[in-house]
Amino acid sequence: MIRTPYRTWLEFTGWLSFLILWLFLLQGKIWWWQPLVLWVMFMVLFFLTKILSFDPGAIPFVAILVLLGWVFLTRLNPTWATAQTVGALVGGLGYLLGIWLGTRKPRYPLFWAGAALALLAVTAFLGTSVGGARAWLTILGFRFQPVELARIFLILYLAQYFNEGRPVWELGFVLGASFLLLAWQRDLGPALLVFFVFCWMSLYARFRWQKLLGYGVVTLLAFGGSYLWFPHLRSRVLAWLAPWDYLDSKGYQVLQGLFALQSGGLVGQGLGGGYVQVIPNVHTDYLFAVMGEELGLFGTFSLLLLYLSLAFWAFRQLRFVTDSTKQMAGLGLTLLLHGQVFLVVGGILRLVPFTGMTLPFVSYGSTSLVAQMTMLGILVGLGGKRGAQDDA
Amino acid sequence: MRKSFLAIAILYGVIFVSLTYWQAFADLKTHPANPRYYQMFEEDRGVIYDRKGLPLATSHSEGETYARSYAEANLSHVVGYFHPRYGMIGLERLYHEDLSRGRSLITTLDLALQSAATEALGNRVGAVVAMKPDTGEILALVSSPAVNGNLLDANWSDYLGDERSPFLNRVTHGLYPPGSTIKSVVYGAALAQGITEPSALWEDQGSLLLQNRIIHNSGSKAHGRITTDRAFALSSNVVFAQLAISLGDRLLEEYKSFGLGEIVPFELHNQGGHCPLKIASDYDAAQLGIGQGELLVTPLQMALLVATIANDGVMMKPYVVQEVRGGLRMRQITRPQSIARVWEALLAQDIQAAMVLAAQEGTARSNLDISLDYGGKTGTAQITQGQDHAWFIGFAPIARPEVIVTVLVEHGGTGSQVAVPIGIQVLRAALTLDE
Repeated sequence: MIRTPYRTWLEFTGWLSFLILWLFLLQGKIWWWQPLVLWVMFMVLFFLTKILSFDPGAIPFVAILVLLGWVFLTRLNPTWATAQTVGALVGGLGYLLGIWLGTRKPRYPLFWAGAALALLAVTAFLGTSVGGARAWLTILGFRFQPVELARIFLILYLAQYFNEGRPVWELGFVLGASFLLLAWQRDLGPALLVFFVFCWMSLYARFRWQKLLGYGVVTLLAFGGSYLWFPHLRSRVLAWLAPWDYLDSKGYQVLQGLFALQSGGLVGQGLGGGYVQVIPNVHTDYLFAVMGEELGLFGTFSLLLLYLSLAFWAFRQLRFVTDSTKQMAGLGLTLLLHGQVFLVVGGILRLVPFTGMTLPFVSYGSTSLVAQMTMLGILVGLGGKRGAQDDA
Repeated sequence: MRKSFLAIAILYGVIFVSLTYWQAFADLKTHPANPRYYQMFEEDRGVIYDRKGLPLATSHSEGETYARSYAEANLSHVVGYFHPRYGMIGLERLYHEDLSRGRSLITTLDLALQSAATEALGNRVGAVVAMKPDTGEILALVSSPAVNGNLLDANWSDYLGDERSPFLNRVTHGLYPPGSTIKSVVYGAALAQGITEPSALWEDQGSLLLQNRIIHNSGSKAHGRITTDRAFALSSNVVFAQLAISLGDRLLEEYKSFGLGEIVPFELHNQGGHCPLKIASDYDAAQLGIGQGELLVTPLQMALLVATIANDGVMMKPYVVQEVRGGLRMRQITRPQSIARVWEALLAQDIQAAMVLAAQEGTARSNLDISLDYGGKTGTAQITQGQDHAWFIGFAPIARPEVIVTVLVEHGGTGSQVAVPIGIQVLRAALTLDE
């Protein structure tokens, strides 16, 4: 990674201008201020991070992801793109807050656990239902998804649990209550994700074959139970196993996603060339399929390489962390991010049942974007201050 | 940490592999649930031309989308149609990959001849094929009734309700007994085997008793003392039944060498018809010799048969698309290709001469006021219900045949009265239109 930040930014700006110009030619009219404001914001965050002696290496990747998402949301519906811009701006503040949080010594595990449970409980009882899951909370006319923040808090709690020898019943209560509340909201994707991250952290803290086996059994049991209990999970599983048998109903979304990807081929149909209006929830769950159709295999490969680079950056960051709680928290957050990418993209590719989450940094969803950028901030903060030697 | 990163990298690797499969290798383009499949019906598309460069099928713009329009002729059985609701068929379907990429087809069809053949056939239900015997180029391929590719929306329910089956391509899928047209093969086989000579004499009483069944001439007409040549020209069933009995199983081999009972190697899908494997009795042999009974053929097979005779015994592969051009790829040109030498040239010329005799003095004589030197053979396929099917196979000019024609009129009556005039008009049109 011997490259100057200036060069990274130059390249990034070039690619971005190209895409945005294309978008302009396509739509005839776009809101120029939005990419400009986003670009300036990421620029400011980048140099601010650098001036504060933290590692800014991840910012260009995230900036490309966010602006790529913005381009595709504008292509689908400019209103979504505007909401996304606002989300990214709030996310900028979240990022700074995250850096501050990351530099602090981890403390108050029960505060994080309590905050997570409180958020989930409020949503479960006062939330608004959208698309089958009661996962939204409306405050002063703004609608957001508390679970996005709650799961960060849960990870922070778990990191401290594994390093401070806290009682098991406490862990059982926190996780059990969280899963019950998420199940109550019928929001099973995040529950699954948090559970997997927990298993991974637990195995990382101390690897035992028995534990691995136990988690496997628990997963199977929980899956079986949920399968019997939740009709929408059942239809997701059927859509996963046999979409061709349910062309018009359960399997519709999965198949339309695959058709879109297949139509993309190697180089794609070009921005705006896809036939994607037929995919349900195209801006949240299925934005990846749109990219696949319009940018082709080269586009989706590049997108995934950006995520892989972020993972590489995150693990390089964690190498410098000496505090084991911080390291564990960083690992958890990284797993949360990439686990989500895997569940979303794997769901679209029919590797796993589709869980209906956003593609981090890219898909429409302001809360998700704010949470994602806060996580990034925490990771930057965890790495701590370093000299300028890395950027040489 | 290192292991965790590795695990994440492996997960991404799995996604990479799966993505590569779905994006680069999976084939879902024509899946019925894929809306892109229907979108293609609205896109611009290559033109289909006739042999002189006249458009048979073109795409015209309708606002943001394109629709297909066709030349006003009986084209649905060869060019086909391409419609968002009714799908695609014919060349539109066979060459969809090329057409959808903007490439054009240049066919061997002659739009004017196609129209002339349609006109000659009129309201009758039947089929006409015109072909160049020396190359295999199909000049006209008419099956009537047809559907009009421009008016599918308006007429679809009528088409579905029409009991004359406008969707059936009678040229490629209509199965009929060949009637007396098949005598040209019987005669050739008999000459080749030395069973008879053109000048050999026969006694024709108008009917022939075989075991306890009778073979009649048309109208039980007794021709008396008659040479084989004239028996062919006058289409004597009595004489040809005896020839077929003498030939026995060798006759079946001759039929098979002309491709009867087998699918013709041709771009358009077609039926193989039926040719029996064995001859059970003299009566069956006699029936086969006069084109009745078990033998069933398509007009396409008969066209290939007469083309082979007219081409001095060499069977040419029939084709209808001579060139695919346009786009980034090389032009694709079809070259004439011979399938087999079925007969020696001299034998084929003997049969040509016999057909000329039939055209001048026999059943294939024309009562039209058209001067044309041609050769031909009629057929009247008797069926158990309704009027007989009328056949005519012919070629012109005599010296060096440039075009052959096959006419079939379903329940038309006798070949001489119904099929011959149509065939003459088509041959005449083909020769005048050619230059």
